[in-house]
Amino acid sequence: MNRRSLLQGLSFSMLAAKLSSASPFYGQAEPQPKTSRSISANDRIQIGFIGPGSRGQELIRQLLRTPGVEIAAQCDIYEPRFAEVDELVGKKVPAHKDYRELLQRKDLDAIFIATPPVFHAKYAIAAMKSGRPVYCEKTIGFTPEDCNNVVDATRRTGQIFQVGHQMRYASWIVESVNRVRKGDIGEPTHVYGYWHRSDNWRREVPNPSLEHLMNWRLYRESSGGLLEELGSHHIDIANWVFGERPQTILGTSSIAVYHDGRTVGDNVQAVFGYSKGRRMFFSSLTDNGLMADQVWIYGTEGSLQITLEDATLYKQTSKRITEASHSDVVQKGVETGASYNANSEMPYRGPGYRLHPKPGEDATRTACGSFVDCVRNKQQPFANVDVGFGSGIACSIGRQALYEGHMEKIPELRA
Amino acid sequence: MDTTMNPATQLYCTTHPAMGTEYSLYLYAGSHQEADSIARSVFQEVDRIDGLLSNYQPSSELSRINRDAFQHAVTTDPETFRFLETCMAWSERSHGAFDISVGKLMRVWKFFGASGALPSPEEIARAREDVGWEKIRLDTAQRTVRFLSAGIELDPGGIGKGYAVDRAVRILRAKQVPAALLSAGSSTIYALGAPPQEAGWKVRVPSVLLDGATASTVVLRDTSLSTANLSEKNFVHDGHFYGAIMDPRTLQPVEGTLQATVISPSATDSDALSNALFVTGPEGRAQLLETRQHDRALIIRRKQSAQQHPIAAEYEAIRWPADVARESATELSSAREE
Repeated sequence: MNRRSLLQGLSFSMLAAKLSSASPFYGQAEPQPKTSRSISANDRIQIGFIGPGSRGQELIRQLLRTPGVEIAAQCDIYEPRFAEVDELVGKKVPAHKDYRELLQRKDLDAIFIATPPVFHAKYAIAAMKSGRPVYCEKTIGFTPEDCNNVVDATRRTGQIFQVGHQMRYASWIVESVNRVRKGDIGEPTHVYGYWHRSDNWRREVPNPSLEHLMNWRLYRESSGGLLEELGSHHIDIANWVFGERPQTILGTSSIAVYHDGRTVGDNVQAVFGYSKGRRMFFSSLTDNGLMADQVWIYGTEGSLQITLEDATLYKQTSKRITEASHSDVVQKGVETGASYNANSEMPYRGPGYRLHPKPGEDATRTACGSFVDCVRNKQQPFANVDVGFGSGIACSIGRQALYEGHMEKIPELRA
Repeated sequence: MDTTMNPATQLYCTTHPAMGTEYSLYLYAGSHQEADSIARSVFQEVDRIDGLLSNYQPSSELSRINRDAFQHAVTTDPETFRFLETCMAWSERSHGAFDISVGKLMRVWKFFGASGALPSPEEIARAREDVGWEKIRLDTAQRTVRFLSAGIELDPGGIGKGYAVDRAVRILRAKQVPAALLSAGSSTIYALGAPPQEAGWKVRVPSVLLDGATASTVVLRDTSLSTANLSEKNFVHDGHFYGAIMDPRTLQPVEGTLQATVISPSATDSDALSNALFVTGPEGRAQLLETRQHDRALIIRRKQSAQQHPIAAEYEAIRWPADVARESATELSSAREE
C-alpha cells in the first residue's frame, strides 16, 4: 500500500494509528546520539523544518529575513509542500518524508516544528534528544502528558526551547505588560481576549480524501479548536500579566453556523480562574469579525487594549471630592428635574493614550530572530518551555472542559 | 463533499479593499461556492502582498527595510529581494524616471496619506539627499538591502499593485479559472482568458478631457493593462495643477503628461512602465519602448501650444491594438474651449 492510497479515506486518528506501525514518520522517537555540530560566530545557522504548511511557511519567510540563517532541510508527509518551500527559499531544500531521517543529519543546528499540535511533543522531544535547539509552534503538547513530557525533555537535555508565542516579542505588548506591572492600571484583575473572525476556518482541499489532513483544525482528534489555535496566545498574555498559570477552566463551545461535518466548535467562550479571584475570559466567533483580535487588560484604575499592531491605555476618570469654595450653590440653590443619566453606564468613547515604544515590527520576525540569537549565544529564550507549558496545559485541559461543559481543574507541572 | 464541478459558465463579481484602493474580481465559475472560495484565495494573496510591501503598515517587510537599511544591511526574503531587483531594473532601464525611492518626496509634497500641498524650496532641497535609486544597494549573495542615505524611503506606489495582480493571477491560473478579470482599483487590470464567445475582456481607456468619454477600447486576453494618470491625488495652487506622480529627477510633479496606459504580459511591468512613460519625455519614451517589443502604449499629453486652460490633448499611440478617438477628443476639448 503506497502512501497516497493510504491517505485516502482515512480519518486523522485512523491515519495516525495506521501510520504509527506502517511509516517511520509516525514511529516511536528513539534516543539519538548527539549529532549537532559546534557553531562559531560566523557560521550560518542551518535550520531543519518539520511541517512547512501555511504557518510553517510564514515562519520560513521570517527566518529568511534573519541574517545568517539557512533553511537546510524540510520534512512533511504532504509532498506538494516541498515545491512551495523551494519556491519560497529560492532554491531546492533537501526534503525528507521521515522526521527521523531529518534528525539524523549532521549538518543541522536547530529544528523548527509547525506540524498539527498532536505531533508537537513527539517531534520536539526527538529533536531535543538529537542535540538540537527547538522552536516549536504552540501549543507544546496536545495532552497534559505531552506538555509535561516536553518540559521533562527540555530539563533532561538542557536544550534551548522556544514556543511560538510571538506576542511575547511584540514591542507594544512588552511595553503594555511593563505598564501593567508598574501599576498604570492599578491592580490587573481581568484579561478579556476576543478573537472574532468572519471566516469558516476551512482550507480548500484539492481532493476530498485529504480533508482530515488539510483541515485538521476542524476535527477533535487533531485539534483543540479555536481555544488552542487562537486562545492560547491570549491565555499566554494573561499568564504573563498575572505571573502565574490558571488553576481552573469553565467553558462552552458549539456549532452555530458551519454545520459542515466539523467536530470542533465554531465559537468558544471560556473563563480561566487565577489566584485571588482573577479571571481570564476568552471569546471566539467565526461568523462576525467586528471585534477582531484584541486583548483587554482591566485593572482597578484603568484598562489597556492590545491589538495586533498597537496598544492603548485608558485611565478611569477619578471621582475625588473637591472643595466647593467658589460654588454659588448656597446663593442660587440647585435645580430640580428628571434624575436619569445614562452616562455612567455608557461605554467610554473618548480617546486613550497610545503606547508607542517604537514602530511595530512583525512579532513573528522578532521571535524568529531572537531564537536564532539564542541558538548562537546558547541562551534560553524569553518564550521558554515554562511559557509553553502554561498555555499548553490550559488548552489541553480546556479542550475537555469545552466538550463536557463543566469546570475542570488545571494541574500543576508534574513533579 | 461534492467533487463534481459544474462548467464555469456563470459570471461572479466581488470586491476587496487593499492597498488604499478597491480590488475587483470578475470570474467565471461553476457555483457561488466555488467562486467564493477562489475569490478568498485571490484576495488572501493580495493581502499578503500588501503586508509585504505596504509603506502604511509598520509591520510590513518594506517598512522594516525603510526603518533599518541605512543603519545596517537588511537581510530580506527572496521574494522581497526579487521585487526590489525588478524595481532597480526599471530604474536603470528608465534612467531614473521610475524610482521607488520617492517616499520622502511624496511626504514633502504631502501626497503620503493626503492629497498634496506645495512644499517650501528648502524642503525640496533637503529631499534631494533622500531620493535616488542609485543610493539603494542590493547584495545578491547576501540577499541584503542597504541605503546609502539616511532619508531614503521606498514607496511601492508605481509598481506594487501590478506585482500584487501578477501574484493573484498565479492563484487564478493554479485554480484553472478559465476566464477572469482582476482590477486593482482600475489602475492595473489583468485579463485572464476570455468570457464565453468573446475574443477577450473589453477595457475602456478614458479620455482625460471629459468625464465619461472613452479614448480607446481594447480587447485583452492573457495580458495586463495599467494606467497612470492624475485623477487620484492632486491639488491646484495659484491656478497651477499639481498631480501625485513625481519626477524623481526634478523632485517636482510631472508636467505635460496627462495619462499613460500600457499593455504588457506582466502586470508588474505594465504598472512600472506606465509610470516611467508618464514621467519621461518623448525621447526617453521612444528609447524605453524600443527594447520592449511586446509592450504597447497610449500616451495622452497636454498640447505644447495650449499651456492655459482649457487644455487640449495630443495622443501618442505605440503599437496600440485599437482605434483611438483622437478627433472626438479634440472636439471635446474645443467644445470645452467655447
